[in-house]
Amino acid sequence: MKKISALIFLASISFGISTDTLAESHSPSYLQDTVPQRDSIPPPAIDQTDGAISGTIKDTDDNPLPGATVQIKGSETGAISDDSGNYTIAIPADQKGVVLVFSFLGFQPKEVRVGNQASIDVTLISDDQELDEVVVIGYGSTRRADLTGAVAQVRTEEINAFPTSNVIQSLNGRAAGVQVIQNNGAPGGGVSVRIRGANSIQGDNNPLYVIDGFPFSGNPTNLNNADIASIEILKDASATAIYGSRGANGVVLITTKSGSGSGTVVEFDAAYSVQTLREKLKLMNGSQYAQLMNIQAQNDGLAPYFTEAEVAGFGEGTDWQNEIFKQAPIKNTSLNISGGGENTQFLIGGSIFQQDGIIKGSDYERYSIRSAINHKISDKFKVDFNSTMTKLVTARRDSEGGSRGNSMIGAALGASPLSRPYLDNGTINHLADDFPFVSPDMINPLYFINEQSTVISANVVLANAAVSYNPIPDITIRVSGGVENRDDRTDNYRSRQFINSNGNASITTSQYISRLNENTITYANVFNEKHDLNVLAGFTYQDFTTKFLAGSGAGFLSDLYETDNIGAAETPGIPTSGYSSSTLLSYLGRVNYGFANKYLFTASFRADGSSRYSEGNKWGYFPSGAIAWKVSEEDFMKSQEAISTLKIRSSWGQTGSQAIDPYATLNQLFPGYTVFGEELYNFLAPGSILPGDLKWETTKQFDLGFDLGLLQDRIVLGADYYIKTTDDLLSLVSLPSSFGYTTTIDNVGSIENRGVELSLFAQILSSEFRWSVDGNISFNRNKVLSLNDGQPILTNFINVIAVADNFSIMEEGKPLGQFWGYQEDGYTETGNIRFKDLNNDGEITEADKTYIGDPNPDFFYGFNSNMTYKGFQLDLFFQGSYGNDIMNVSAISSTMDYGQGLNMPEEVLLDHWTPQNTDAKYPRISRSSTARVSDRFVEDGSYLRLKNILLAYNFPLKNAQGKFLKSLRVYASGQNLLTFTKYSWWDPEVNSKGGDDRLGIDHFSYPIPKSYTIGLNATF
Amino acid sequence: MKTLTNYRLLNPKLLIAGFLAIGGIVSSCDSLLEEKPKTIVTENFYQSKSDFDAATNAIYFPLRMVRSEQVAILSAHTDWGYGRGSRAQYNDFQGFNPTNINAAAERWSGFYEGIRNANIVIEKAPLSEELTEDEMNSYSAEAKFLRALTYFDLVRNWGGVPLRTDQNIAQKDVPKSTPEEVYAFILADLADAELYLPTGASAPGRPTQWAAKTLLADVYLQLEEYGMAKMKAQEVLDAGEFRLVPIASVDDIRNKIFGAALVTSSEEIFSFKFTRQTGQGNGLPWILNHPSTGLYNFGGAYAHYGDATNPFHKEWEEGDLRKGLWQLVDFGLGDSTIVNGKYAEPQAVDNTGAGNDIPVYRYPELLLIFAEASARVDGLTEENLEALNQVRRRAFGLDPGTVSDKDYVLEELTSENFLDLILQEKAYETQFEGKRWLDLKRTGRAEEFLMKNKGITIAEKHYLWPIPLEELNFNEAMSPSDQNPGY
Repeated sequence: MKKISALIFLASISFGISTDTLAESHSPSYLQDTVPQRDSIPPPAIDQTDGAISGTIKDTDDNPLPGATVQIKGSETGAISDDSGNYTIAIPADQKGVVLVFSFLGFQPKEVRVGNQASIDVTLISDDQELDEVVVIGYGSTRRADLTGAVAQVRTEEINAFPTSNVIQSLNGRAAGVQVIQNNGAPGGGVSVRIRGANSIQGDNNPLYVIDGFPFSGNPTNLNNADIASIEILKDASATAIYGSRGANGVVLITTKSGSGSGTVVEFDAAYSVQTLREKLKLMNGSQYAQLMNIQAQNDGLAPYFTEAEVAGFGEGTDWQNEIFKQAPIKNTSLNISGGGENTQFLIGGSIFQQDGIIKGSDYERYSIRSAINHKISDKFKVDFNSTMTKLVTARRDSEGGSRGNSMIGAALGASPLSRPYLDNGTINHLADDFPFVSPDMINPLYFINEQSTVISANVVLANAAVSYNPIPDITIRVSGGVENRDDRTDNYRSRQFINSNGNASITTSQYISRLNENTITYANVFNEKHDLNVLAGFTYQDFTTKFLAGSGAGFLSDLYETDNIGAAETPGIPTSGYSSSTLLSYLGRVNYGFANKYLFTASFRADGSSRYSEGNKWGYFPSGAIAWKVSEEDFMKSQEAISTLKIRSSWGQTGSQAIDPYATLNQLFPGYTVFGEELYNFLAPGSILPGDLKWETTKQFDLGFDLGLLQDRIVLGADYYIKTTDDLLSLVSLPSSFGYTTTIDNVGSIENRGVELSLFAQILSSEFRWSVDGNISFNRNKVLSLNDGQPILTNFINVIAVADNFSIMEEGKPLGQFWGYQEDGYTETGNIRFKDLNNDGEITEADKTYIGDPNPDFFYGFNSNMTYKGFQLDLFFQGSYGNDIMNVSAISSTMDYGQGLNMPEEVLLDHWTPQNTDAKYPRISRSSTARVSDRFVEDGSYLRLKNILLAYNFPLKNAQGKFLKSLRVYASGQNLLTFTKYSWWDPEVNSKGGDDRLGIDHFSYPIPKSYTIGLNATF
Repeated sequence: MKTLTNYRLLNPKLLIAGFLAIGGIVSSCDSLLEEKPKTIVTENFYQSKSDFDAATNAIYFPLRMVRSEQVAILSAHTDWGYGRGSRAQYNDFQGFNPTNINAAAERWSGFYEGIRNANIVIEKAPLSEELTEDEMNSYSAEAKFLRALTYFDLVRNWGGVPLRTDQNIAQKDVPKSTPEEVYAFILADLADAELYLPTGASAPGRPTQWAAKTLLADVYLQLEEYGMAKMKAQEVLDAGEFRLVPIASVDDIRNKIFGAALVTSSEEIFSFKFTRQTGQGNGLPWILNHPSTGLYNFGGAYAHYGDATNPFHKEWEEGDLRKGLWQLVDFGLGDSTIVNGKYAEPQAVDNTGAGNDIPVYRYPELLLIFAEASARVDGLTEENLEALNQVRRRAFGLDPGTVSDKDYVLEELTSENFLDLILQEKAYETQFEGKRWLDLKRTGRAEEFLMKNKGITIAEKHYLWPIPLEELNFNEAMSPSDQNPGY
């Protein structure tokens, strides 16, 4: 349970947004009566002519709230409380029965209908009082207090705490059980999210993202952080089973901002950041490099490459890291205009996000326009419409991985400091020719930056409309239709100046469209004031169609064409196109029953039919059930004060994963070309994957948890224990290569994740100086329970020339992604690495490989502190991971591949094996030194980092009422400014290969930057 | 008014009716879940003639893709060739390091992908109801030729290997066969190929009866069945289908025999074909050339080179145009470094986009196969000496059919040194065609020549390439003891 402290100063964010709307449209009717901010007072009996109402506004600790706003709902008339929290507001004679809205930053707004009283005192409840807030769940919403499942909420102020190119990056460290792994630091680069561990080998293990009810195609890159009202993360099966075959990895429900009914609010946010490489690697300079080359020559019986005088004269040489990295800005601007009245609310928003990458030439831009309209047609009809149009443009410079400097990042580390970046005539220096000992693979990284471009341009439209009908107040029928359309186009151009190129262009476009129709009926009622029933039933249809078209050309007379005239190519490429489609049909139902507001029961069911599975296995059934006991509502708890809230929850359920692609069970033939004479002839052949008859992956999950609030919920503790088992695990299974197929997909086994999640919130001080802290920590233990025939599966084959081997293993009883390699045992007499002969057969063979590391963390955590004093705010946000290993594949090329003219860390020169230094860190510098996948490359990847530090000042616009500017906040912040880690390479937050059986690999990846940000939030 | 209109549209009865209607449609349409891919699936393929054209063409692709590496590596395993960088290890003759073990596994996979595609044709052709018997035999024969050629490559480099056939196509685990079993299988395939392949290819790059006979002759030579080898070679000679391409200069070799723009030549018996197209070109020219020679439009990787001080090169007679394909280029490994420009390509589309074909059998090699087989059966004769002399004359730019002063003379030779001359001539003639190492192994003279020309002792483990780990790990009919010696 994630606890958020909504402190003051979130002026940029309007809170009124969705709580009302959601409560009305989805919540059981009793909720509206108990939602605390809505004190309903009977209509006035007496005319109040020229009235004025006065009173005092206080917080729950009885402290007066100066500067709070009182406003007549739907009008411009308003007042501000004085230093003692007192206010007086004039009520025009013709406005009887008006509603007053009391609001103050960081507190939940409260509405009071004016009756015949002359004085109204109100107590505003801090936003920190989490248990009464409304939480979005699948196909509905509920009060947090009535949740039976494990649901975490991340709120808008956390999402907007610092600029991220992807909304999901802002979840990192914010919610227990939610691990956010940034695969690399490229702008717009991939992010992996694991909720309660990874349960699939074949599937991608990322949660289902649902944006305003629409199950989205993946990471919500179409949204700007400022678009989002809240994010709910459904973790246990009782919460996720309603998403059936897509629920096994958890579900992230994203609610965007919508209009409110109380006048027009204009919010403007702007931020500017500067990003830099966190830390350069300490590589050899020119002289040191020449020394190392000479040592290698000597050890390999060659004449020295350089004379002593030359070595001394080389000095620093070229710093290639300076050649590719730069300081890079992020500009983020958004404007949201929202408003409306009783029957119609609207929001129109737009944002521009522009991020340059710290590698020259890379950038990411997002332009988006959003609108949301809610309209009440009559008492019985409502219509909602929500749409987002986004343009994303990504310029990639992501030549990563590789070996011997054949990738941009590899070359930035491996290029000789004695080589110049450019020749005198301004052309790029061809490094492989500079010295005879330099590997022919070495490519000047500037080729990738200046002479090759990859631009991905995507237009994404997400639109969803719904009509709700209440034939009687207890029944809501809702029919919605939505569409996600994504058109993207990738342009690759390699110029004539690139090494070995006479111009290469390729263009790939794809069109993805997903259509959704959802039909639900909800019945909600309270019987005899004790039995609270809410029943949901529905059926949904969603289809997914992708088409692509690709064309290319090689050989251009001029670089002017780039990708815009592939017809001008000397050799036009063969065009390709493709089509893939799948359908998901579902029936769903859920019953929530509450007895006496003490005992809560939930049961849900979903049947999913997917076209992707083979005949007879198309339908999957996903039930769940949960119970909760609100102990604190029992009479015996009323006599004490310490425990303000206590709820014990437990749930069980089954979810699934659509881990396979469309057509994976069909014996498809793939086309290609071969040559006779000089002509192309087409052919058809099976692919390299042998199709199989596949069943669904099914995940069963048990959850036991409690929520405990102490001292009027000034301290809130949440804890969950869960155990998840996934059966019929789909996995690629290797086949003997002589079979002609390299792999097949099979339901090979089962996997388990079990763990504990804890979260804590404490409001330490709540006087003028307010201080709250919150934190969360998650322990997940992943274990492969069984594999087909009990045979281990070797995975993660990586070839960096010096080493080419399977780096990981999947084996029963072990977590996914175990590193698998050799143990080192010092050096031989000649300075070669000695490996342990574990089976004592006198030879080092495959049989001597063993477990050498585990990329799964023992635990990961986030810790947040918010302090405010008068207008000042200081936030500190720490985030970290402990006990995870990183396989530093970069270091294989960079520290062990001698004789290739590669530059290396200074350490290699200073501490390598010589007859005088036999316990050196690195072996003898010789091209006959051999490396294997060994424990030397496995490093502790634990880290603790100051993810964000923020200092803000909120201008005291005390008499803002009626003035143009209502609030103004300025801030300065820093991201990733401090990192504590033992990891030797650029950054411990790295995951080059993305997948879970290939977790924790660092292979010449685009590093994550640190950044400094200044910004402002203004409300008009 | 507008609100009213909307309201009518949203008449509750209509809405409920719509709600139910959609439910009805959805629930009654399980056919929505049927997959209708816009691709061809196996189940309804392999019927018509065009199906089998497409299926047979599929055999070539993987075999073409592994060919340039196969040739390059076999050329480093010689007494005259050297590899650079990671390829340097190939000419150490001490077996393979992990890098090269992996590279060998990739070639293995490529060969077996070709065999799988051949097996599909051989299995499915007899089942088709649309093919005539002749068509069925012809597709099977083409597939069997390619399968035999591939097993010949496998068995000579790896020794015994699993025999994947059209009979065990669905079987994941297949044990390793002995070399004898593999050769028997090759001979059976070639018997069919010889019988049913056409005498003239429908397109350059498809096998003919003559290609099958040439391959048979080579297999018999390998099996030391010299009589059969001579007979098969003789049949090709007698057919008179091929003749040596006359040349007058080094450039003629580059352009008229191995030229990038050449479609075929009068001496081509069987080649893997490439064209100037991304993904369809030959990678070998880029691997071999050096930028300074200007023979490849993207420079070249000069990953393989020679040494002018190597006795093989020093003893090579000046005036032999084939020697002129080597040029001195000092790129840092010494001033006697030479680089080969046999495969020139001025208009490649990229590094792997050269139009040059990779010859598998050319007529000069057939002449030398004949000469050797004949000499081993009948001793030195006018006829087999003439076969050798034709190859030699052409190499000096002379008319192959006319007696010249470069001729070896019968009286000056013995049967023994005649065999030496044939072996040497073949080494000159087929550089970078992947022949020399296999000939040295076959004749048992590898040790002798490596010591003589490179001063190297060959490790026992170097004679057979390692079986890929993926094979030993995942083929349950094989065990680690099936691995070749030394790995």
